Order: sequence, then structure tokens, then C-alpha cells
Amino acid sequence: MANNIDIGIRAVCEFLGAASTPDRIQAGCNSENYLVLKDHEFEPAVSHLAANKFVLISLFCIEGFSDRAAHSLFYVFERRNGILVLVNDVNETTSSVASIFPSASWFERECRDGFGIEFDGAFDTRRLFLHESYPENFHPLKKSFKNAPLITKETINPVDEYQFRTVTGEGVYQVPVGPVHAGIIEPGHFRFSVIGEIIFNLEIRMFYKHRGIEKLSEGKSPHDCIRIAEAVSGDESVANATAFCLAVERISGISIPERAWYLRTIMLELERICSHLGDLAGMLVDVAFPLGASQFSVLREECFRQCDCQTGSRFQRGIICIGGLEKDIPGGTINDLLLFIRQLRKRCRIGLKIVLSTTSVIDRFATTGVIPGTLLRPLNITGPVARASGGKVDVRLDHPYGIYEKYVPKRQRLQDGDVLSRFTIKASEIMDSLDLIEQLIADIPAGDIQSEAQVQDGFALSLVESARGQNLCFVWIKDGAIERYKVRTASFCNWLAIEHAVQGNIIPDFPVINKSMNLSYAGTDL
Amino acid sequence: MVNALTCLLKKKVTEDYPVHDENLEAIGLKIKADINAVFGRSLAIRELDTGSDNATEIEINNLNNPFYDVERFGITFVASPRHADVLMVTGAITHNMATAARKTYDAMPSPKFVVAVGDDACNGGIYAGTYAVLGGAEKIFPVDLKIPGNPPAPAAILAGILALMKRAKDMKRREP
Repeated sequence: MANNIDIGIRAVCEFLGAASTPDRIQAGCNSENYLVLKDHEFEPAVSHLAANKFVLISLFCIEGFSDRAAHSLFYVFERRNGILVLVNDVNETTSSVASIFPSASWFERECRDGFGIEFDGAFDTRRLFLHESYPENFHPLKKSFKNAPLITKETINPVDEYQFRTVTGEGVYQVPVGPVHAGIIEPGHFRFSVIGEIIFNLEIRMFYKHRGIEKLSEGKSPHDCIRIAEAVSGDESVANATAFCLAVERISGISIPERAWYLRTIMLELERICSHLGDLAGMLVDVAFPLGASQFSVLREECFRQCDCQTGSRFQRGIICIGGLEKDIPGGTINDLLLFIRQLRKRCRIGLKIVLSTTSVIDRFATTGVIPGTLLRPLNITGPVARASGGKVDVRLDHPYGIYEKYVPKRQRLQDGDVLSRFTIKASEIMDSLDLIEQLIADIPAGDIQSEAQVQDGFALSLVESARGQNLCFVWIKDGAIERYKVRTASFCNWLAIEHAVQGNIIPDFPVINKSMNLSYAGTDL
Repeated sequence: MVNALTCLLKKKVTEDYPVHDENLEAIGLKIKADINAVFGRSLAIRELDTGSDNATEIEINNLNNPFYDVERFGITFVASPRHADVLMVTGAITHNMATAARKTYDAMPSPKFVVAVGDDACNGGIYAGTYAVLGGAEKIFPVDLKIPGNPPAPAAILAGILALMKRAKDMKRREP
């Protein structure tokens, strides 16, 4: 489709008008386009993109990228299959876009913590991933800070404590929950404002697990960084490792053997199945239906064991590498997977039949935790959560990578946006992934699984559809080492949707709403 | 009105146990015997995530799935540290979690045990020596047992619990 100009480039021509010359747009390694903005162009560009339904999917900062200023802010916009990155060179301050693109609020706070950049006009200037114990004026991602153990504050002055928004009114009271929760679950704080049992407002506070992933990767060799990518979020190991390797492979012009892509795709889909099975089981536990829950938790455990047989790791870790895979999976083992997949499909159907014919479950699921479709674009909500609220986004379809161009997954979509829709979408996606794996196993070619990888310097953006949605990864390699590794998992954006989803629901429904969205704390906190 | 005969003749809704793992059963029975002897028949564990990548949580959660079903061995995961005998720590201790982690430990009644699960909890793992973490669990707790792995499989965690029971038994024996 040669006459189909990239939607991002067209937008640039529109807002730059006469100032637009073709050489100003730099094509990236991964079909993304970069435009370095001049100071006066920033505001018209942003309002034009907002008016044209572009979504701000990420905003991150890089130090020392340009000669013009100390920092470069990368605003990543998406519309349909176009990715446009606006590069804004700034020294210390710039203007906030959070009131135009609400997803920017957390992004900007993240940049402020990391690099000390001030965003004029921002409606929320509280620190994000640096909690109270971190010293003032500490910005770990600045190059001048060398990664080393830090002495933090022992005691926090009450006035320095994090200020939650206060909701007042007759009968409103607060229920603070976390960071340590009752179950075996990751830490995070939820501040409910409640009237009776009904949730009037929820404010979340995350980043208790901030372990400095981005700083940790700096200076590492790309090969060593795969381990870090896998540690972003345990149950997204394959997705994040793939996103990272994809970026490095694009930078270096490495094309990986076909067999390796088939195997990677099988692993990605297996990871999705594992994750979704866990969600189905978890949702059923949270509405006290263990009969259904145990069906799916049995299948999930079998899935983990199958992953172990295939790759030697229950989380499929340590097998993806730059240029392909560390080791091949023998034909016999893949055949076992095929038999397993067929069994799994049958047993999944049995489980679903039990659940969906149980009225008490449907009663708890339907109309609970509705995420309105109008929130999807402003907050960049992606993945099954978005697709259950009428969204169309799926990276595998919008920006196909590897062999997804050839093996196109079905675009699942429901409209209601409640827990039931998310349950149903995830169940359908399990079935689709099973079909996809079966098809891949039937067609898998023989051959090498690793091509010679000579890593080169450069930068690239990559997007991968993890079980939770769109995972974005930006890699800049300088002198053979990682200069900047930015990862933004789907959960980072999806978390904010929960504040809206719970409004008007009762507190006892919070666990099932939370589970239906399956948000990763580790993947958000980095 | 429910007919008593229907209840008797109705097909049962339980299913057979999915797998029978000799090793697991053997470990489980040993654990059960030790728990009976030392902890008065039930061992209460409080899980605390201080900065893991969530894989370890998933594996600890898996101990409750029908394959392992550790509750039959006398192991329960409890909601409050006040009910716990054992604190199972996952992940390196992040600065942001340090205060909450200390409070959790302090809320536990004595005698108490701390088990570090996974490489990051054992010694800080890949995060050791970086700005965001204090290091492994031993930086703030007296750690009784370390279960390494990235993450350790459920069976390995169970084997770790057995090792802890042995130590608790020895401690009890040495008591006057």
C-alpha cells in the first residue's frame, strides 16, 4: 500500500504546514517515525495530535541524546498502525501535557523523579516512584549519579508524608489498604473513600517495589540486559525479553531464523495462556466459587509444567536471546505440546461450561467494575481490559512483529466493560492462543534457531502484546553497552483504570475487579 | 424439598486427584509429622513481598493449587502477621518497602521464623549494590532459611519448609 502515507507523517505535515520538509522526519528502525521539535512547535503539535485522536502511549526522558539540550523527552504517540515520536529537547523545565493527555501525568511524574525535570502547569507534582524515604533532589537516572547503595531517611516527618487527595462530605470515611495485603500478592496501597459500603473514590499508590530496573541496565551489555528484561515482571518474562531483543535486533539489522520466530511465538502465546488461566481461576476464587477455580488452577499448573518441559523453565526464562533462541526445542517435545494443547482445549471448555452456567457467578460478574470505553484513549488502556470495553487495540494486529503478519490472531472485542466481559474475553483469548499454537506447530519449519548477532549502536522502539496488553520498550545502545533501557508495561497505564472501575461498587467486589484486570505491580514499579 | 435419595444417587461433583507424586507425598507427610510435633498441628505462614518480580509469588500461590494442596499437610497461609509462625519473604528489600516490611515482622508474635524465598530475597540477586534496595532479607530480618532459585519451583519451596521444620524441631529439643 504505497499510497497509504503513514498516519503519523500525515499529521506532522498538517501541523507543521510550510515548515515541514521530508528530511525532518527520521524513520526509526521499527517503523516508528521521529520528529525533533523546535521550541515553538511543541504546543501546536500536541494540540493537533490531541484533536486527531492520537494516544500518548509513553513519555520518557533520555540524557545526553542531543547536543541542543541536556535532556530529550520522547513523546510516543499512536494512532491505528502509526507510531510518531516527538522529541522535545529540554534543559530543566517544559510545559505539562497532562491536562490534554491524562496518561501523561504518571509519565511526567516519572521523568521528574528520574531526571529532575519540572513540568509547568502539571496538576499533580507529587513524587511517584521515589517515596518519602528518598532524599530531596535525588534523581537516580541522571548520568551524574553512579548506581550505588543509598542512605535513606530513617524517620519521616509527618508533614513530609505522601498526601492523598481528601474526599469529604457527610458519611464519607476512608479505608486504607496495603501496602501489605491479606493474600499472597504484591504490595501497593489503596485509599478508598467510602459511603457505607459503596466506594465513592479510590486513589492508588504504587512503586513500593521500585528496584531501579532502568538504572540497573545502564552500562550492561545487551546480552546481560535480557536477564533484567525478564525480571521486569515474572509472568511477562517472554514478552519483555522478546520486546528487548526485538529492539536490539532492529538496531543491529539482525534478522532471526524463521524457526526461532515460530518458537518465540509459541512461547509468547503459552505465556498468555498461563496468565489468562490464572486470571480465570483468581476471579472465581474472589467470588467464592472454588469448583470452577480449581479447574483452571489445575490447567495452569499443567501449563507451567509444559513450559518447563519445553524450555527448561516454568516461566520460560533464559531461552530468548539476541538473534533467536539459546537452544532448540526438539520435535518430539513439540509434539508433546501439541497433544497437551488439544487436551487443554477440551478441559478448558468443560471448565467454562461449569462457570458460565452458574448463575451466582454471573450475578457477581455482570455489571461489576465497569470501565467505560471513553477512558481507553485518555489513559492508554490496552490489552484484554481495553478489548472488553469496546477497544480495538492489539499490538499483534496493529503493529505485527515476527510472524504475526502471517498468523493473524482474531480481534476479540466486547462492549460492556464489566468483570464478565473481561472474563469472557480472556477465555476466548485462551482458545485463540491454543488454535494459534496448534497452527504454528503444524507449520513450523526446520532450521537454525540463532543467527549470528553482531550488536551495533543505535536506538529503536519496540512494541509487544503481552498477556496484559501493550508493552513498550526503548533501547539505546552506545559503544556496545546499554545507554538507556526504558520499559513501559501495559500495567503502568492500566492501573489508573481501576480508580474508575471501582466507583459505585462495593468494597467486597474490589478483589474480583482487581483480579479481572490482572495488573502487575512489579511491571509498574520497575 | 430435597429428596435424600437424590443426594445419594446424584453423580458426585468431586474429581480424582490429578496426579500422584510420590516425592511430594513423602515430603508432605514428613512436614506434617514435624508440624504436629513442633507447631501443634498447624504452621501459619505470612507471605511478604518486599520487591520481587512476582514469579516467586506465583510459585508460592501454586502451593495451594490442587496439585500441591499444602493445606492437607498442615500449612496455611494467613492474612495477618499476628497469626503467623513464619514470615516468607520474596524479593530484595526495596527502600520503599523497608518500613512496611519491618512493621510486618514486628507484628508477628515470638517465636518466629523468617524464610527468604528466591535469589533476590536470599542475597539481593541482580539488585545487590544498587540504589533502590537495601539488599537481601537479612539486611533487616534475622533469616533462618534461604531457598534460592529464580524462582524456586513449588516442590523446592516445600523442601525448604521441611528443612525449616527440622531446625525448629532441633531448637525445641534443645529447650530446657
